[in-house]
Amino acid sequence: MTALPAVGTRHRLDFTIDAAAMEAFARLSGDRNPLHGDDAFARAKGFDGRVVYGGLIVAQVSRLLGMDLPGRDGLWTGLSMDFRKPLYIGEPATLDAEVTESSPATGLVRLAFTVRAGDRTLARGRAESLLRP
Amino acid sequence: MSLTREDVFARLTPLFRDTFDDDDLVPTEDLSAHDVEEWDSLSHIRLVVAIEGDLGITFTTGELAGLENVGQMVDLILAKL
Repeated sequence: MTALPAVGTRHRLDFTIDAAAMEAFARLSGDRNPLHGDDAFARAKGFDGRVVYGGLIVAQVSRLLGMDLPGRDGLWTGLSMDFRKPLYIGEPATLDAEVTESSPATGLVRLAFTVRAGDRTLARGRAESLLRP
Repeated sequence: MSLTREDVFARLTPLFRDTFDDDDLVPTEDLSAHDVEEWDSLSHIRLVVAIEGDLGITFTTGELAGLENVGQMVDLILAKL
C-alpha cells in the first residue's frame, strides 16, 4: 500500500494543454461554449484567445492525485477550486500541491494546490483523498 | 489542555454540525451512526479528522474501531487531553 504522505510533502506537475485536448474535452463533455472554441468570440469577451476548459485543469489535479500524491491507493473524495485567471492553449503551466493534513488513523490526506502560468496564479484549491489498503 | 466532559461536547457540537451538514444536531452520550442519516463511513472519517485537528490529538485505527457512540468517543478524547 502507498505510504501515507507526511504534512508538508510536495509535488509539482508541468503541463500544457493543446488544441487536440480541447477538442477531445469538447466531445467528451458536450461543452461547446465558444469561449473555449472560437478565438474571435473569446477576444470579444476580453480574453487573449480561446480559454482552456477548467475541466482540463481539474484533470491535471486528478492526474496528480491518482499518480503521485498520494498515488494509486488513493480514492479522491473531495475538491474545491477557484479559477482566478485564464489559461490559454499551448501555454506552459504548473500544478503545485502540498499535503496539509494527513491522518494515520483514517488514511485521509488533504492537499492545497496552486496552478500557475509564468507569474500568474490561475487557480487555487484543496483536494482530499482517502488511502485504502 | 484541560477540558471537562461538557467542554468536549461543546467543542464537538460545531464539528458534528459541519460534518453532517445539520445546524440542529446536538451530540449526546448515546448518539451513534444509526441516529444520523448522513453518518456514513466517509463522513465518519471526516469527523475524526476534524476532531483531531480541532483538539490537537491523534487517534489510532484500533482506538476508533471499537467506538459505539459519542460518549465512548468523548471518553477516548478525554483520555488523550
